[in-house]
Amino acid sequence: MGDKLKGYKGKSIEVLKKYKIEIWDIIQITTKKTQLEGILMPRSEYSAPDFIEIKLENNYNVGINVSDIQNIKKIGKREANYKFPEKVFPYNKALPKVQLLGTGGTVASRLDYTTGAVIPSFTPSELYSSVPELAEICNLDCEIVFEILSENMKFEYWQKLAEKVKLAADSGFDGVIIGHGTDTMSFTSAALSFMLKNLSIPVVLTGSQRSSDRPSSDAALNLINAATVATSDIAEVVVTMLGSPSHDYGLIHRGTLVRKMHSSVRNTFRTIDDIPLGMVKNGKVKIFKNDYKKRTKSETMIMTDFEKKVALLYFYPGLESDQIEFYIDKGYKGIVIAGTGLGHVSTHVYDAIERAVQEKITILMTTQTIHGYVGMNVYSTGRELQDLGVIPGRNLLPEVGYIKLGWVLGQTSDSKEIKDLLLSNIAGEFLDREIPIAFNYNIDELLRNKKL
Amino acid sequence: MYKFDYEELGLICGLEIHQQLNTDKKLFCRCPSKLQGTRLPDFNTKRYMRPVLGEMGTFDEAMLTEYKKGKTIIYEGYNDVICTYELDDTPPFSCNEEARKIALEIALLLNSNIIEEMHVSRKNYLDGSVPCGFQRTMILGTDGYITLKNNKKIGIDILSLEEEAARKIKTENKTNFYRLDRLGIPLVEVTTKPDINTPEECRDCAERIGLLLWMTNVKKVLGSIRQDVNVSIKSGTRIEIKGVQKLSWIPLLINHEISRQLGLIEIREELKNREVSEEDIPKEPVDLTSVIAKTKSKFIASGLKSGKKLHGFNFKGFRGIFGKELMEDYRFGTEVSSKVKVISGLKGIIHSDENLENYNLSKNDIQKIQNKLNSKENDCFVLILGTKKELNKAADIIINRIENAFNGVPPETRKALENGNTEFLRELHGGARLYPDTDSQAIMNTAEEIKKIQNNLPMYPWDIIEEYAKKYQVEQSSIKDLIFKGKLSLFNSLIEIYPEKPSIVLNTLLNKAKAIKREGKKIENITDDDYIIIFQELKNENIGKEAIEDLMRLKADSPNLTIEQSIEKLHFETLSVDDLKKIINDIINKNSEIIKEREMRSMGPLMGDVMEKVRGKIDGEIVSKELKEQILNKLKEMR
Repeated sequence: MGDKLKGYKGKSIEVLKKYKIEIWDIIQITTKKTQLEGILMPRSEYSAPDFIEIKLENNYNVGINVSDIQNIKKIGKREANYKFPEKVFPYNKALPKVQLLGTGGTVASRLDYTTGAVIPSFTPSELYSSVPELAEICNLDCEIVFEILSENMKFEYWQKLAEKVKLAADSGFDGVIIGHGTDTMSFTSAALSFMLKNLSIPVVLTGSQRSSDRPSSDAALNLINAATVATSDIAEVVVTMLGSPSHDYGLIHRGTLVRKMHSSVRNTFRTIDDIPLGMVKNGKVKIFKNDYKKRTKSETMIMTDFEKKVALLYFYPGLESDQIEFYIDKGYKGIVIAGTGLGHVSTHVYDAIERAVQEKITILMTTQTIHGYVGMNVYSTGRELQDLGVIPGRNLLPEVGYIKLGWVLGQTSDSKEIKDLLLSNIAGEFLDREIPIAFNYNIDELLRNKKL
Repeated sequence: MYKFDYEELGLICGLEIHQQLNTDKKLFCRCPSKLQGTRLPDFNTKRYMRPVLGEMGTFDEAMLTEYKKGKTIIYEGYNDVICTYELDDTPPFSCNEEARKIALEIALLLNSNIIEEMHVSRKNYLDGSVPCGFQRTMILGTDGYITLKNNKKIGIDILSLEEEAARKIKTENKTNFYRLDRLGIPLVEVTTKPDINTPEECRDCAERIGLLLWMTNVKKVLGSIRQDVNVSIKSGTRIEIKGVQKLSWIPLLINHEISRQLGLIEIREELKNREVSEEDIPKEPVDLTSVIAKTKSKFIASGLKSGKKLHGFNFKGFRGIFGKELMEDYRFGTEVSSKVKVISGLKGIIHSDENLENYNLSKNDIQKIQNKLNSKENDCFVLILGTKKELNKAADIIINRIENAFNGVPPETRKALENGNTEFLRELHGGARLYPDTDSQAIMNTAEEIKKIQNNLPMYPWDIIEEYAKKYQVEQSSIKDLIFKGKLSLFNSLIEIYPEKPSIVLNTLLNKAKAIKREGKKIENITDDDYIIIFQELKNENIGKEAIEDLMRLKADSPNLTIEQSIEKLHFETLSVDDLKKIINDIINKNSEIIKEREMRSMGPLMGDVMEKVRGKIDGEIVSKELKEQILNKLKEMR
């Protein structure tokens, strides 16, 4: 039976089998009190076992207790017939060429009104149907690289994406947009920042905080903004997402300084320890910081080797050495610690850290305060940890520290080279100075007061 | 007035009634379920809505129309009573249990079959009234019924529990402003089956559903209940009339709608008889701007001067059609122009069935227009004056509406107007705008819960009305008023305290409250507890019944005063019977002439004089007794 009764279990599956009913059958159910007609729906695995779920004629879904059911009669079957209007994405010689790489985030989609499922729409024709504004910005080419939830990302996918970007740059695309789930978007932006050398074109990651199956979705605007940035002269890996709760402007964040800071709001992404690179509104980019890399004609190179045996450890009072010992015993090559405050861990784990360093494991310190630098010369703990061989990660975000260490260890195993690479600014991840407003800037307010 | 044979017309009506529930918190977040009135908002958030592709890869027509209006939406919110959920920036929290239980009670009162496992659905709205673009709604009951006065059973198709939409504040320069305080207040929607066959039945059904809802814990304030009526006749079309604010409007609206549908059907038949062809409808308007450049019509000349253009259509064989009256003071021309106004914003069209002299168009102007449009005697021409953008939109709407004239009554949603007429509101939503909410899990109504509520259901309001009227010797309509004022349970409490004179309780809650409200005082400052204390004091004879009104006035003016304090304040002015006797004595001595002349008939005018001095300070019955006694004494003296 399997999929024909997907999600049904217990008494409900018995009843459905008895009446020979399958999912998508149109059925008439007689209960003790009434009669209901509708389409038998697939059910979530985690729902109650003794109910069957139908979609009524008025499109509402209801669950009926099987113990109330006196009879079920099949009266038809719903034929799924998905058709999409064929609209060719118009080609305009005058506009730049942009490639959109899909990773599984739903930047554009249509809706299955029956299941509520979101069917990703991803061909240029489908995208043109739902976001026709794109055709005024660029000629779009789309490719689904993989279809995964962003929490299932891993370094092989980052490598693959880096290769795709190089290919796009080599084959004459003027920019690349990467559609990405927002949860781990900043990991991917950091990974690509390190893996792409001499990047000649913009690489813009974007996604949506409200999926595109709802009228209020931010997906279309983010995609339009991303296309604008992808055709700009910013030849860096950046994240472009809405900058305020309003559907007004997008912000452009450098790929190594950005972080998702809220579980659900639209303006969840923030540049940390600095203000964003710039903003995008109504097809125009406005730059806030002039230190960005510009488009070049030179060849984009990639250095994608990545050491996967790197851990990210969040320190908390009570953390015991055995957690660090675990990584040592498992053959890890590097540990990034998100320490407290200026970059501290308790003295109780000193021994384990000492052992790790002895076993040639690189330990990089970042701060769990997210904002600010580690300052490991201020207190004795910091000095002692440095003495043990812990490398201070300056202003690195813990996640960026993880990506950087994985990438550095992929490039070399020489401990001096490792330290040199870790302490040099490779992809704009280090900031020489933190401007005072970096901690709590409010872009709306700065714009209102014309300070940007 | 209309006289229709509804049976022959095949009249079918249905009702959709929306009622806010009286919970502390909203349905899917824990913000207070309370309107903020005229309080200024703390923040604005700007949004745009986009239509969503349906499963067939197409857009819902109504959604597309809404999108084409190109509206920006501004949501106005408050920092303390609005959260990120209302802004569609956080997924929904659990369903409000209190709301679910009230809805269950209503479903059971309507004899509905309860859905044990509810699934939240999304109903798309693109007008901006819901920030996420859809309303969360769930079916709680199906297949119920309500019994009418004439004993007819009207089926209740569904009862759903849903979220109230945001409150529209204004539209300014293509921007709709919505206030978020109303968004998310729990609401039930009661939908009847199309079992209603006369306007009076429809009114009665709406009234009975309303009464029934107000027996439960629903919000009992103006605007908390809203009624939509669906009307169709044989060979007509089902028309949805929204925003019916008063029960008394219902029969009038239905009769007007029947008249409109009959008129449209006549037009269809007339066009057939005249052998007018749909093929002759022009595909686009003709620019008449240069033809009419020298017109003396001020209206047109000033329009042209401000850069507007004049466009015209000729509709072959349409003579007299635009002038045909569909409802009182509403012609086919009105039908076309009001639709144009709602969608394109262009105000007013001119057609040749009107008296064109009203626009100061000269014979020469008309001749030129007719020539340019090639308009013959049996035709009707239509003129529109506006900006290029307005004209383009208006042209599409006019052509589309004329095409529809060949089919009779086009399906649409109309808005109820106070005079009983209706006007175009929007296209009918397609069925495919309801789909499962992927943000929430199934919500259960357990058998035990249902049973518990079933065992504690209130009496049917119409039974209460009958019983109370008999028991307390009052008019049925007074009890009905009590229910619609939301004062039934208060009445019950007060009667328990003061069973002596139900009419006093009723009079206090209905007439006195109304009179004080009419004086512009804030009657809502008097709480149920205040009334209870007032009647306890009355019972304990600490106040006379005359003091009730004064206490109510005092409390309405100064809500911070307790009733006890109010009584004390009044007591300063309270008269002892001895003092009363002195006052009466004074008045009698001054008026001995009148007493001599009229004897006992002087009672009336003298009572007025006395009351003027003692009103509210002592019971009127005591005054009357004392006055009578003293007049009698005086008369004895005189003899």
